[in-house]
Amino acid sequence: MIRACHLYPDLLNLYGDRGNVMAFQKRCQWRNIPIQIINKSLGDTMDFSNYDFVFLGGGSDREQKLIAADLMKRRDQFEKAVENGLVVLAICGGYQLLGRYYATGDGRHIPGLAILDLYTRAGSARLVGNAVIEMKQAGAPVKVVGFENHSGHTFLGGVKPLGKVLYGKGNNGRDGLEGARYKNVFCSYLHGPLLPKNAGFTDTLIRLSLRRRGIDQDLKPLDDIFEERARTALLGRLGLKAN
Amino acid sequence: MKLRLTSAIFAGRSAAKLSRTCGYDGSSLPGMLARVFYPPALKELAAQVRRDIIVVSGTNGKTTTANMIAGVLLEAGFKVISNREGANMISGITTSFIMSSVISGKIDCDYAVIEADEASIPDVLNNLSPRVVVLTNFFRDQLDRYWEMEKVIGVIRDSLRGQNQATLVLNADDPLVAQFQDTTGLHSHFFGLAGNENTSKVNTQTREAKFCPFCGSALVYDYFHYGQLGAYSCPDCGFKRPSPQVEAIPLGMADGLSSFRLTCQGETVPRGIMEIQTQGLHNLYNALAAFTASKLVGIDVQTILSSLKKYRPAIGRAEKFKYGNKQAYLNLVKNPAGFNQGLRTLCEARGTKDVFIALNDNFADSRDVSWIWDVDFEMLGADHKHLKHFLCSGLRGEDMALRLKYAGVPAEKIAVNKDMRRAIKAALGGKAGATYIFATYTALRPVHKIVKSLVEKRDANDQGMSSVS
Ligand SMILES: [Zn+2]
Repeated sequence: MIRACHLYPDLLNLYGDRGNVMAFQKRCQWRNIPIQIINKSLGDTMDFSNYDFVFLGGGSDREQKLIAADLMKRRDQFEKAVENGLVVLAICGGYQLLGRYYATGDGRHIPGLAILDLYTRAGSARLVGNAVIEMKQAGAPVKVVGFENHSGHTFLGGVKPLGKVLYGKGNNGRDGLEGARYKNVFCSYLHGPLLPKNAGFTDTLIRLSLRRRGIDQDLKPLDDIFEERARTALLGRLGLKAN
Repeated sequence: MKLRLTSAIFAGRSAAKLSRTCGYDGSSLPGMLARVFYPPALKELAAQVRRDIIVVSGTNGKTTTANMIAGVLLEAGFKVISNREGANMISGITTSFIMSSVISGKIDCDYAVIEADEASIPDVLNNLSPRVVVLTNFFRDQLDRYWEMEKVIGVIRDSLRGQNQATLVLNADDPLVAQFQDTTGLHSHFFGLAGNENTSKVNTQTREAKFCPFCGSALVYDYFHYGQLGAYSCPDCGFKRPSPQVEAIPLGMADGLSSFRLTCQGETVPRGIMEIQTQGLHNLYNALAAFTASKLVGIDVQTILSSLKKYRPAIGRAEKFKYGNKQAYLNLVKNPAGFNQGLRTLCEARGTKDVFIALNDNFADSRDVSWIWDVDFEMLGADHKHLKHFLCSGLRGEDMALRLKYAGVPAEKIAVNKDMRRAIKAALGGKAGATYIFATYTALRPVHKIVKSLVEKRDANDQGMSSVS
């Protein structure tokens, strides 16, 4: 049984990011892998050591602030679980929150959870548009597609990027990098939502979550024609090769 | 000064002629030019409206509401200026006034009913100083184009302050709209839908307002209509759904008409049965907003009700077609709340259905198609026995098909066909009893054109056959 925790589904629900949890859940169910979705929100008790997969999305400014305060109270157990291999997908606002701080336009530093060594600075230009990154999956390069929409510009310290930018702006529009990766934590600015169209990446997260449960198994292949068509249609429009 | 207004009008009209000759629809260029020639053009034209100016804004339903109000005023025998959707920003609105004026700068009208894009509200209010401002609802819409919803609300609120001539017509059921009475201090009239057997105690849909706009506490609901619309109250500061001046109680549907009993300030309105042609809750809200605004400017109840009963939905607003013996419905979908309403109407209708969806990602549609994952297509997956085929088209038809698959629609029922005409033909020609057609903003006109031509062709064929037999 995979225990997947969706953090603040009632508050962090911008840009269809709940689709990430749907994709994760369906791809487990289609393989008869038992999965439980645990929804947690403000003030709920959380036990990160007990979860295999955690999804953290983004919200509007007001909601983001409430969540930062709520998560800060559980920071240490969250960090400990990450060090012990908890699988995390954090998108946009959630990504920024895992970093050390967010520097606002007027020079204030809003502290983050500081679980990942990265920081974000308010940018003057909003980075908006279709985006494609290349990331490694099982050692091979794979193109991952999505849509970015963020005014924060993120810079990585001692963590790896999720991938390199083939199309779009990425973390900050300058260094050609997108997202962040630390142990089993995956961060990205890509909506779309990210997981449904990039089934290989979803399966990577499922495999890692199973491994955290102590199960090392090959995933049964699924019929991914719809997923691949959606992914390659966008690649084609952006003038990129399909594989 | 007069000379400058006439030259602005002249420039605008010439531009309109020119842009039509060049194949544009000429809706914003004339106004834009006139404003360059003479910035106060709109203000001076608007000042000539003899009676009142009514501005309608909000996320969903502004076109329908404005059209309904204009219909009522015309029925009451008045001359009315109105703009149409797509021309709801400041230059488009200026164009509407220019095209209604004579070259000397005179306009001859009693009322202006103006639909205004949320982002244009500050400019529109400054220029028009309306007597009535109608706010329908607030939902997230095209986030990559506009700002976040809270910012939109803040801008509208700030620009309403100081418009002391204005009375607000507000949706009592939407806390995001109802808050405007207190945040602007303006005189307000509320409309709303009473709780009934169809209202639910829980809300499964994405909802925008979870917190009290005044103190930030979580809002508590007695019931929901859809989204955040319902009977809410704040446990901490006492903000709650205001009791509406105009409230509707659903009576039922017959012969394609939905009917409602109206109460005004708790009193039953004599002969106050409102009948409207369109299905779905959102159109009821539009009719209630139109009723309240029309009553406010002094139109008598029976004239309003008779006009609302005759109202035909505009292109893509639950527009009905007959394809042979089959009913087809065309719906414009712009955001999750509107799409959910359309899907719910589909699910509640009896019989089998085919479904066509055109999803585009042009600027006016929202370039980010993520929003379809906030739409509750799961209700289709749960009830797919009655749903025969799903045809997906448009620039992002593949994304739409993928969404349906994850909503639980069996893959063999889903097809992608980027040839819009063929896809629509297949959806209309399917075995199901009715066809539901959904299109995003930039797909609407092409889809409408294709549906119309297929319907006409089919009619011609039928007549041809009967004359032979
Ligand atoms: Zn309150």
